[in-house]
Amino acid sequence: MTENPKSEVVILGIETSCDETSAAVLLNGTDLRSHVISSQITTHQKYGGVVPEIASREHSLHFQPVVQQALDEAGLTFGDLSAIAVTYGPGLVGSLLVGVSGAKAMAYAAGVPLIGINHLEAHIYANFLEHQDLSFPLLALLVSGGHSHLILFEAHGQYKVLGRTRDDAAGEALDKVARTLGLAYPGGPQIQRVAQEGDAQAYTFPRAMLEPDSLDFSFSGMKSAVLNTLNSARMRGETLSVPDIAASFQQAVVDVLVRKALMALERTNVKTLLLAGGVAANKLLRETLDQSLSVRGVRLVYPSPIYCTDNGAMIATAGYYHYLEGDFAPWTLNAVPGLNLT
Amino acid sequence: MKYLTIDTTTKVTAVALAEDEKLVGEGFLHTTKTHSERIIPMLDQLLNAAAWKLQDLDMIGVVRGPGSFTGIRIGIATAQGLAQVLKIPIISVVSLDALAWAGKGRTEDIVPILDARKNEWYTGRYRWIQGVEKPECLTSPQAMPTGQWLEFLWGLDRPICFVGDAVGKAKGHIEQVFGDRAVILPEYACLPRGAYAVEAVWQRWLQTGKGELVEPYYIRFSEAEVNWAKKEKARRSEGHE
Ligand SMILES: [Zn+2]
Repeated sequence: MTENPKSEVVILGIETSCDETSAAVLLNGTDLRSHVISSQITTHQKYGGVVPEIASREHSLHFQPVVQQALDEAGLTFGDLSAIAVTYGPGLVGSLLVGVSGAKAMAYAAGVPLIGINHLEAHIYANFLEHQDLSFPLLALLVSGGHSHLILFEAHGQYKVLGRTRDDAAGEALDKVARTLGLAYPGGPQIQRVAQEGDAQAYTFPRAMLEPDSLDFSFSGMKSAVLNTLNSARMRGETLSVPDIAASFQQAVVDVLVRKALMALERTNVKTLLLAGGVAANKLLRETLDQSLSVRGVRLVYPSPIYCTDNGAMIATAGYYHYLEGDFAPWTLNAVPGLNLT
Repeated sequence: MKYLTIDTTTKVTAVALAEDEKLVGEGFLHTTKTHSERIIPMLDQLLNAAAWKLQDLDMIGVVRGPGSFTGIRIGIATAQGLAQVLKIPIISVVSLDALAWAGKGRTEDIVPILDARKNEWYTGRYRWIQGVEKPECLTSPQAMPTGQWLEFLWGLDRPICFVGDAVGKAKGHIEQVFGDRAVILPEYACLPRGAYAVEAVWQRWLQTGKGELVEPYYIRFSEAEVNWAKKEKARRSEGHE
């Protein structure tokens, strides 16, 4: 960097919790100087899903080059950094440990603080990267392959989980249905693609709402309904329309997510909904929420698709706010695969 | 030349500081805590105690396996992270080659055995060469079913010195099979030590004289790869019928 680098907050964010090795350099919370994502999707495709040991092996090979590329593209060195932020959970333990160990060594050698980031928190913080005008309280709908959460976000670092999935996460259910339909991994984006040619009214799958006052989710029964429909058709020797099934199931999942989000907004009287996580990139979900919220005077905010999937930029963004609080991790930081938000 | 070595390929966290062929400081922890929790604090304490600064280091040595898959990756990620920031070269060595130094000066064959689960060991066979003052590798590293390996060793008709983290559990069995043809060192000498890593790293540095790209040395494929290959083979043979 040219002049007086220390007057700025420069965060290196590192993410290795699942199947993306990613690093980003972020200036002052919003100025993304570089963002490198090395995806393992093609490696895992032939297994139909992420294989933990293979994911760890891939991270081990790509971690160092990815970090170096992020620094090079930003035109910075370790000496310019204010801190290094790394995901320490939740996620695959072997994958997390590659990032945590490497980040720790780098921070220790560079003489800068280490920041441990909760992956779920980072998904929500992805919204702050492109929207600087967010004011608390906020409500977050976090939907991904591993998580379906409704979260009341009251101030930086203060979360209340209002609802969570009791079985499958939304993205997980989409993946499983996609696999049964013979679509490639990862299933969520495939369902969305195929659904474009389908009729969302063709099949009526149940919308599991649980107890009337519950903000929890349950997608496993909905998934089973699809699988049963497919099985009984197969036994009768019929072939069903894959686009119709995909469209109808996607509609069912989106309906549940939207209804629960509306319930939570009503209950908390919050005026801004943040979408976060891989499924936040789903167009139907965004459009349906957009329509339902605009008539209620609630603002809908979501990250660009690249910041919805796992990425280092969201880790750096969350890291920036931890840095402002002076919230640093000890050198004993360990991976916590089952880390919760609260 | 000053350097540090890291070995996290077993349950032992072993970190050492060294200057040329001389061991300067050594950390050894064999507790229930994880490598990830221990390694940087241990390094920090060692540096402080030796009154060394991280910036004094000219090289980093790391043991790249075989051993615990996760342990291998923690060691390598740590070594790479340090070397990347300090802009110094890395040297990597094989865990069994390092452990062979536990049998320094011995006349028996030196056989490191590391727990590889599923009734297998990561193992190899070495012999101390007098005059050269180095262990020479006679049977290269591999994952072997324990029974088959002991049978092979028995057939060699030579006295054998066993080292490695699998010795503790296998001691009774080995003594039963080999009687006084087996030499079993005390556990603290059998386990990976910074001192052994330093010897192996220094030898490798003398050979190469420069750093190298480090890759994990697992020996084994992951289970998913093995299963996939099996399925693929079955599918292909069906197709040919
Ligand atoms: Zn994620």
